[in-house]
Amino acid sequence: MLALPRIAPVLALTALVAEMAVVLADPLPADATYRPLPTRPFSAVKADDEAQKPQVMQRQTALLSQRYDLSNRATPGVMMSGGRKPVQGAVRVKLPSGITWETLAAMPPEEIRRRNLLPEGFKPLPHVKHATGGQVFPSEQIKAIDRLEQRDLRRFDVDFDLPDHMTPEFPPPIFLTTHPELGDVSRGQLLSLRNFYELLNGIVTPVQMEGMRLLLTPFPQEEFNQTEDRKVAAPSTGVACMDCHSNFHTNAAFHLTPDIRPQAARFRLDSTSLRGVFAQQIHGSKRSLRSVEDFTEFEQRTAYFNGDHVSATRKGVHLPDRPNQVAMMAQMQNMVDFPPAPKLDPFGRLDPTRATRQELDGERLFMGKARCMECHAPQTHFMDNNMHDLKLERFYRVGETVNDFTPMPDGPIKTFTLRGIKDSPPYLHDGRLPTLADTVEFFNLVLGLKLEQGEKDALVAYMLAL
Amino acid sequence: MARRLIIAAAMLVAAGTAPVLAQIGNPAGMDPATAASAPAPSAPQDANTQDELFVLLLGMGSRAEVEAGRMAEAQANRPAVRDFARRMVEDHSKGNEQLTALADRNRLALPKDVAPEHKAMRRQLESLSGAAFDLAYLQGQLVEHQKTAQLLEWEIGMGQNPQLVRFASATLPVVLEHLETLQRLWSDTTGAAPAGLAATGSTHAHKVPGS
Repeated sequence: MLALPRIAPVLALTALVAEMAVVLADPLPADATYRPLPTRPFSAVKADDEAQKPQVMQRQTALLSQRYDLSNRATPGVMMSGGRKPVQGAVRVKLPSGITWETLAAMPPEEIRRRNLLPEGFKPLPHVKHATGGQVFPSEQIKAIDRLEQRDLRRFDVDFDLPDHMTPEFPPPIFLTTHPELGDVSRGQLLSLRNFYELLNGIVTPVQMEGMRLLLTPFPQEEFNQTEDRKVAAPSTGVACMDCHSNFHTNAAFHLTPDIRPQAARFRLDSTSLRGVFAQQIHGSKRSLRSVEDFTEFEQRTAYFNGDHVSATRKGVHLPDRPNQVAMMAQMQNMVDFPPAPKLDPFGRLDPTRATRQELDGERLFMGKARCMECHAPQTHFMDNNMHDLKLERFYRVGETVNDFTPMPDGPIKTFTLRGIKDSPPYLHDGRLPTLADTVEFFNLVLGLKLEQGEKDALVAYMLAL
Repeated sequence: MARRLIIAAAMLVAAGTAPVLAQIGNPAGMDPATAASAPAPSAPQDANTQDELFVLLLGMGSRAEVEAGRMAEAQANRPAVRDFARRMVEDHSKGNEQLTALADRNRLALPKDVAPEHKAMRRQLESLSGAAFDLAYLQGQLVEHQKTAQLLEWEIGMGQNPQLVRFASATLPVVLEHLETLQRLWSDTTGAAPAGLAATGSTHAHKVPGS
């Protein structure tokens, strides 16, 4: 550090600011922030999009297989909460050649960055077609909504990119805080405008029922609407909240974060579960909205997660009435419980008479050496209602473009709950980690934990019990 | 519009670069006059208005950075700032040559002059010396590199011309390295804690000599 006189530079800086104020700089181009209007007719765009689609999917498949082993390798005897889908096991993120997880974890971040050794699967995951972005639904959701409501959620430019066995069970079970005695109230069906009344009459209040109706009602969205800017073949009535949050859980539908511009730097968003939303005090991976009411109201305003009220208004805006409609939608969401975790006591700690030795080992690590509970606190449903920056960019060179995506450092991201976590693959806010074993390797590296293999296995066993 | 993907893939093979996958834009934002048949990779490519604006804005910024760098090489107070200025002249001269070649090949107009804000910066620097000059130069460069990084990201998402989008992708890491170096220099000069990329060290930026 040079010992410079500090006063003179401050004066100079003041003079500089004064000078610059006289000549106003030109802003960056308008569409660095605002969504541009399409420049071409819908039919021409659709024809080009359809022609590109095989290559788009091939490119994403190549990226995924370069990063992950996505084979179907279920953990024996471990099913998701509805008993319909097995939980996938094993570490799926691929290592660079000649490296083991142990040698990697022994290196300082600078060395990993310099030698370009961070596993590609630990880096931010691109959208299947990043320059366009927008919501992409898994085929099961598309088929179910087509059957139930004759509403088309299929995009002509892209398909969903993850194999079916790597996503949550479908349709997921629904557990209500108001009816713990009933268990799953979904009757194995997907909630839709056609069946919600039949399924819920007698177990929700009139207020909750009206909230449910609104949560299932489609409204125009950036890619699903009536304009030439859509990515669905026929003019569309739109998308409903529950199209991503199937049965108040998630179907792994993805999108781009609404909170960042320009488009190339927006990170992918994996739909989060709404289970246990009653306990969450902040909402949105980056926005920290302070209530589910705020979140519900605001997402209607900006056409579901595009952060663009201007474009949303052109496509048909829905402004739910705050004291009535928003409150009812929020109340319905707040009745949705986590799945049962019979081994946990009322404060989220393992009951030693029910847990295995390995699970208890996992809990001890979770609270100690592995440092998980510093954010995922059991007493507050394995969250801390806070946001943290893992500073992953210590480990890789920022600014490289992958499939039109220029990932910048993520910055602080909301802590997500770990209750019922085995039901919610893939993991992290963008779904970059396919299994719980991947999350253990990720945090082992990022937090410098130096866990041994037996300890990693115990942590996975513990998370399966949550 | 399979063409852009195929051409970009061909360019990659020809260049023998790392496995950066080909870019695919949003066809909704292409030039309406985009031709239907695939031209040869060496021929001019279709460009949308974003590509045209990108060449103008990046061209102005890059010229201004060379210009300011030349002044700072001669006038800066601290050796570390003079070293940085020398690197700016070298890197941005090289970048300008590449941009000029791409613009010529694609028949896109280059700027005739720098922007008014750059002229204001030049006047400002001309009036200063010593530590005050260093601060003004670094402040101007910080802003210029922040804007350039955003401009490159914008072109990567919005551009149509595959050669220009590839150029933007290749240039972005270099600009971020400059930004990190600047953030370190700013910290060393003012005593403020390192901010941005310099806080974690996320590029391959050189250590600042003499700091």
